[in-house]
Amino acid sequence: MQIFWITLSAALAIAIPALATAWAQSRIGPAAAASLAEKPELSTTVIVMLAIPETMSILGFVVAMFIMLRAGG
Amino acid sequence: MHLASPPRLPALNSAPTTRREQRLLRQLRTLVADAETARTLLGLPPPAPAAVASDPALWATWARTARRLRRGAEQLRERRQRLEEEQALLGKYREMLDAFAGLFEAGHLPGSVRAYHVILRPGQAAVVEPLRQALTEALDSAFELRTRTLSAGDTALLLLVPLSRTPRVEHLLTESGVQEVPLPAGYERATAAEALPRMRARLAALPALVEALETERRARAATAGELLPAILGTTQDAISRLEAVGLSASTRTAFVVEGWVPAPDLPPLAERLRQRIGPEINVEELPTGPDGDAPVVLQNPRLFRPFQLLVEMLPLPTYGSIDPTPFVAVFFPVFFGLMLGDIGYGVALLGLGLFLARRARPGTQLKAVAQIALVCAVFTIIFGVLFGELFGDLGRRVLGLHPLLLDREEPKDIVSFLILCVGIGGVHVLLGLVLGVINAFHGHRRQAVGRGLSAVMILLVVVALLAAVHLLPAQLLTPAVVALLVAFPVLIVAEGIVAPVELLATMGNILSYARIMALGTASVMLAVVANRLAGAMGSVVVGAIFALLFHLVNFALGLFSPTVHALRLHYVEFFGRFYSPGGIRYRPFTHWRTH
Repeated sequence: MQIFWITLSAALAIAIPALATAWAQSRIGPAAAASLAEKPELSTTVIVMLAIPETMSILGFVVAMFIMLRAGG
Repeated sequence: MHLASPPRLPALNSAPTTRREQRLLRQLRTLVADAETARTLLGLPPPAPAAVASDPALWATWARTARRLRRGAEQLRERRQRLEEEQALLGKYREMLDAFAGLFEAGHLPGSVRAYHVILRPGQAAVVEPLRQALTEALDSAFELRTRTLSAGDTALLLLVPLSRTPRVEHLLTESGVQEVPLPAGYERATAAEALPRMRARLAALPALVEALETERRARAATAGELLPAILGTTQDAISRLEAVGLSASTRTAFVVEGWVPAPDLPPLAERLRQRIGPEINVEELPTGPDGDAPVVLQNPRLFRPFQLLVEMLPLPTYGSIDPTPFVAVFFPVFFGLMLGDIGYGVALLGLGLFLARRARPGTQLKAVAQIALVCAVFTIIFGVLFGELFGDLGRRVLGLHPLLLDREEPKDIVSFLILCVGIGGVHVLLGLVLGVINAFHGHRRQAVGRGLSAVMILLVVVALLAAVHLLPAQLLTPAVVALLVAFPVLIVAEGIVAPVELLATMGNILSYARIMALGTASVMLAVVANRLAGAMGSVVVGAIFALLFHLVNFALGLFSPTVHALRLHYVEFFGRFYSPGGIRYRPFTHWRTH
């Protein structure tokens, strides 16, 4: 039963930030596409902007790994 | 020399261009716009860098040629667009009419029946049943309603009703929110049974017509390719010359030009001017100060120069501030190597970099990208050796490789990897703060003190944390905490009430370097999964193909993600501490595209 809760916690630690990242990127994406249509030279800035919300997923991944490692996974 | 605005002195006429020259300038700009439009529409690449001779006698002819080429290219594009739109429209209709082909056979549809064709989008299919009920109530059973699902997920709807009931049916269709799709232009007067064979014939003929237009485009592009580079080069040079005249000031017998030039280039420039013009030219070096109008040129050693591309993707740094290129040249490949860290992928990237370096012309962006790829490949191989990875765990299983620094697959080493990445992040951010202090020192002393204090406080936090977990002597904990408590109010005095928030943000920035570990671990795990696939498929050949495909995907991800995240770590975490954008690019007066 403990394994179930540990696995669920690790999954939630990555899933919730991933959903948040997806939501943020879904807002950035259309704005980025509109900006690129006007100014194609902004492509690098746009890629970096899209990478910014990924911090949440990455930190979620780190937390999930710690949960698994602490549990001896 | 980068020309500055004309000098403002009472004895000088600061607008020496005549009306005739201004009119010529406008005409030349139109000529360039026409030539550029024609070049883009005909799919020609930008002309290669070349110095071209000017022949002003040809302006009128060239203007006509450029206009003719632009008009021809625009007409070609419009014709092609029309054909492609027709192709798409007829394709959609053909599918619909094919679905109900049996009903349209001659004789099946009496003249007293009216056919309605409707295409419903995927989300609209729910209106069919309410429409059927409404029709049953209005027409009893005097109608035929058929539906078919089309390939793109649309629903084709065909409604046959007696001619006498059409007003009522049209009202019902409007109420249901569906609209009849009229037959394409040219087929409106025909019945569907007549239109269908004609549509099929037209659809069959369209690809040949598009191909004929493509042949015509290639022919026009070949002609334009011979004319446009010379026209563009010469005209752009003439525009630069006229603009330069506009930036000069003159008396009846002399002229004055002010501008900027990198300090080492000044003596050779003065010497050449004396040689070309004579002793009557006077070159004077004006005193420089903290001038906001001074243009910026990034000058770095040859080894670092390709990395200027990464800095130039942002607005240039202001004049007199720090050029971060050398730091990017050191840290970017390290971050990339730490994330990808695999001998196999490193060798593949090395091959790709060498291929691009051979194909690219010197001085182009592609050449810089290739050189950056080569440096990143070297670091990827170095970290691959340190982590003992060759296509994931393949090197260990087949060649007996062993990790020299840490094993990214081992849970205990993952924590060490995380500490290493955050540690490097700490060094990187602290370096940014120190550069911020240096940048701010000449202008904003208070800001410099604040940034310096932030750097010291971060160091103290790190010392306190390490002492708390006994990685440093425990005696250091109390002095570090006391020093932090003393520094805190000084920081608020120096930088205001937002300083604590900034400090917390800086700590967050350091933690952000955990992404190096996260992406590195994800990369090695994907490579391991690819290798396991090879063994799990049953057949060696199928397994090897799957593994190869998986490695290819991982390699593509391994190029994209580390690049984007290493860039982000520089632009957000590092540059955020010291970079002051807003510099004006140094654009010397020279032949078009030769600088």
